[in-house]
Amino acid sequence: MKNTYDFSWKDLGDLAEGRPNLGSETSVTVYRLMQFTFKDIFSKELGREKTCELFVKAGLLAGREFCRNVLNPALPFDEFVADLKTKLIDFKVGVLRVEQADLENLHFVLTVSEDLDCSGLPIFGETVCDYDEGFIAGIFKEYTGKDFTAKEVDCWATGDRTCRFEVKPIKV
Amino acid sequence: MDSTQALKAIGSCLALAMERGLGKNGLVFPVECKDAADDTCRNFCKNLEQIFAQMNETYRFAEALANGELKTEVSRSNIFAMPLKALQASLRHLTWQTNQVADGDLSQQVDFLGEFSLSFNHMIASLRDKESLEQRLKTITDVLGEGVYLVDTEGRLIFANPEAERLLGYSFQEMAGKMVFNTIHKQFADGTFFPPEGTQLVSAIHNGQVYNNDDCVFACKSGRLMPVSLACRPVITGGKLEGTVIAFHDITEQKKYQESLQTINALLEKQASTDALTGIYNRLEFSKLLTLEISRARRYQSSMTIIMFDIDKFKEINDAYGHQTGDSVLIDMARVVNANVRTTDIFARWGGEEFMVIAPGCALDQGIQLAEMLRLRVAQTTFSVPREVTASFGVAALRRDDTEISLTNRVDHALYQAKANGRNRVEAEDADA
Ligand SMILES: [Zn+2]
Repeated sequence: MKNTYDFSWKDLGDLAEGRPNLGSETSVTVYRLMQFTFKDIFSKELGREKTCELFVKAGLLAGREFCRNVLNPALPFDEFVADLKTKLIDFKVGVLRVEQADLENLHFVLTVSEDLDCSGLPIFGETVCDYDEGFIAGIFKEYTGKDFTAKEVDCWATGDRTCRFEVKPIKV
Repeated sequence: MDSTQALKAIGSCLALAMERGLGKNGLVFPVECKDAADDTCRNFCKNLEQIFAQMNETYRFAEALANGELKTEVSRSNIFAMPLKALQASLRHLTWQTNQVADGDLSQQVDFLGEFSLSFNHMIASLRDKESLEQRLKTITDVLGEGVYLVDTEGRLIFANPEAERLLGYSFQEMAGKMVFNTIHKQFADGTFFPPEGTQLVSAIHNGQVYNNDDCVFACKSGRLMPVSLACRPVITGGKLEGTVIAFHDITEQKKYQESLQTINALLEKQASTDALTGIYNRLEFSKLLTLEISRARRYQSSMTIIMFDIDKFKEINDAYGHQTGDSVLIDMARVVNANVRTTDIFARWGGEEFMVIAPGCALDQGIQLAEMLRLRVAQTTFSVPREVTASFGVAALRRDDTEISLTNRVDHALYQAKANGRNRVEAEDADA
């Protein structure tokens, strides 16, 4: 067996064939169960900080793959955002809203409400959407070809009703 | 302070708030927690004090949102403010969306905001409809074989379609905002500039009138004056004059065609009225002119004489030298006589070798003198045949009760007399007969 694994969109399988009765959707509880148990085990093996870092990295990969396979990066920005919004609702990831879009400096402020990762969580006092941060940065990286950071500045888990992300290119 | 005292103080504070509202200072917690009698009371008071503080903060936050201050912040731990934060996020997003729409981004949709979503999405749908209508209109003006300008009420250009750009050679960018009166519409067809009071087109634009002109010129960028046919229609929105649409097309070809048509018509008219061989009037035109001259003589009560003449023994010339020679004798005859009648006289070929002269203003004796002079000139002329060519002349003057026919009959008779009396001579009608 190979020591590492390279993700491929094809590995997600043929759901029409595989789940003729249950379909392509599952419950958010199961999704969160998996994420939070991963978080539990990883943090005990690797520490909180490393775990967060890995979640962001995984989210980044997911965002890029999502952009490549689900979105159309050839669209102009306005249409791209409209499409992204629709797809995030279709896939029941969350309701994306843009608060600020500075196309010159590529600086964006986005909110995601009813977020898949955190909406309705008890208030922990810290943001929990590490995977989402990576996911959003990944989409922007794939769309613009530049490296981005997405920082969650507000989160349900910090007492906000919506998660707010500041997206900026990484200065090299 | 025991529990009962604390509850009373809190109770009256709340009652006041219920009666008067929160006021400038908000809810002020009336109990010093540290003075509470026991732990239970102290903890309760601490929690309630915090809740008071959160409610005050929420109130101020809601107030700020109500005033549209979307940047206002509220502490994270405030449990009452949570739905307001969601509202704040929605409003910030809507603000951005509205700006996007204003910049022409019609991909915006509002999701999950109830009635507001419906209204917003309805607005976007209407804007899209409007956009597609505009797009359709643009396509139409793009492909139209007619130049289209839109000017404001002052005459400043605000739109030009590709055909207008092509026709006059000015791009829209060059013309945008410029007065059409200083650029394309400033000269008459002969190149002279308009008077200061302008033209009908100028006043149609200023006053929003319908105006058509099939014979106008526009100045091209090259300086060329292009003949155009144009139609102006005012654009009125909400009862207010917004400007004028000027549709025009190049009529250079049409003009050329018209001019050539005029030339052809003039030529045809001339052909219909002249004798093809000699170039003088033919019999048809002579008849018309005779009628005209008779009525003119009657109107002015002036005299008028007609002369009819005939080339002597013309058949012999034809038989001996051929028709071509005969024709050239006819041509020479016409030339000689034409050179010797007055400009006011009318000279025509009557048919064969017979000719007619109308001499307006001449009484019979003057007509006889004219005929005698013509006879002499003819007899003196050398024609292109090796023999003498002469002519016989009949003269008749207009009488009170004459018709064209009676006058013509008398002159014909006089000519017959001249022939009978030996040719190369003038005979007048019998004035007394
Ligand atoms: Zn979150």
